Amino acid sequence: MPDTAAEARQRIRTLLVELLGNDRFVSRVSDTESLRRAGLSSHALVGLLVAMEDAFGFEWRDDVEPEALRSIDSLAGYVAALRN
Amino acid sequence: MPNYEALHRLELDYHEDTPRIPTRDGVELYYESRGEGTAITLLNNFFMSAPSWRVFSEELVRNYRVVSYDMCNHGASSHHDEEPTWEEHAADVIGLLDALEIESTYLVGTSISTALARDVALRYPDRVKGLVLAGPVLGPVGMRRHRQIQRAWLKTLEDHGMAGLFGHLYPEVISMEMNEALGSPGFLGLRESFLAITTAEDLRNGLNLALQGDTSPELLAHIQAPTLVVLGDDDNLLSPTGGQELAALFPNGRCEIVPKAGHVPFFDEPEYFQELIHKFVQESESAAHA
Repeated sequence: MPDTAAEARQRIRTLLVELLGNDRFVSRVSDTESLRRAGLSSHALVGLLVAMEDAFGFEWRDDVEPEALRSIDSLAGYVAALRN
Repeated sequence: MPNYEALHRLELDYHEDTPRIPTRDGVELYYESRGEGTAITLLNNFFMSAPSWRVFSEELVRNYRVVSYDMCNHGASSHHDEEPTWEEHAADVIGLLDALEIESTYLVGTSISTALARDVALRYPDRVKGLVLAGPVLGPVGMRRHRQIQRAWLKTLEDHGMAGLFGHLYPEVISMEMNEALGSPGFLGLRESFLAITTAEDLRNGLNLALQGDTSPELLAHIQAPTLVVLGDDDNLLSPTGGQELAALFPNGRCEIVPKAGHVPFFDEPEYFQELIHKFVQESESAAHA
């Protein structure tokens, strides 16, 4: 589990690059931009959520608020909150 | 065991350059038409959009002209102050067919749009070659259960918003098998898709409309078009026995049960669902030309 949200953000970006096979998406999406509006498919989002479970050692719950899934920043914030 | 691969490939993006089709006064419908041949027209329930049909009809497109569209006041079609009545939605289907020069078509309804398919077949029998009713809301003795569920969904939408509604309806419409296989990442990913497909206002209007319309099973005896009921045996709204009884009310109806599928059987088994439609259309076409 990373110590800071900044580390989590970087790790999530790395996971996205691995998932998508290139850095085209990651290089153009900002930390706070909506991933869906930026063009991340539902398939890729589910893949990212699964990859995050492995990378950060936790399991998602159904009661996570939609806002937590919006952006790299909010995903990292969720991970950091779990850590704390 | 299904791998839900099609569901993971769900497409939500609209073709921006598609011209809208004018139907009634001021109404313009977003549509997609793919493939050639006998027409199959897909009718959205209020939780689907025209693009979301692509992954569930990609096999049909090889043999048929597959048309999907967004209903007036939903998705990328024009929005007006009042939600259209069922009669107006049925008229829009005919307007769409006219504009696309489709003389007659097979209609595929899912959940609440099985009621629309019924209405179009009753009002415009010459335009309907056959009906496919997937996870029908039509019941063999009435629609009380469905109306109660719709009211509960509406209340949840009002009290807890879109995400709350998704959490309410998901275990009711998604099969147990699929729920377990997708886990929380799948639940959360599909919720994101759900939130992208529709708005609270469109849904509220649609769910209110779903509480209206004729619920009489006797109407079905007047539909001469061949009819296929496709029902998951894990559909919470209608049992397999109920599905068989429903199909028997149509003069030319039959029921196919999809093992372990839920209320939206093509989520569970998209390829099998399309095979069933393909077989049904072939049989109906052969009978019509015999």
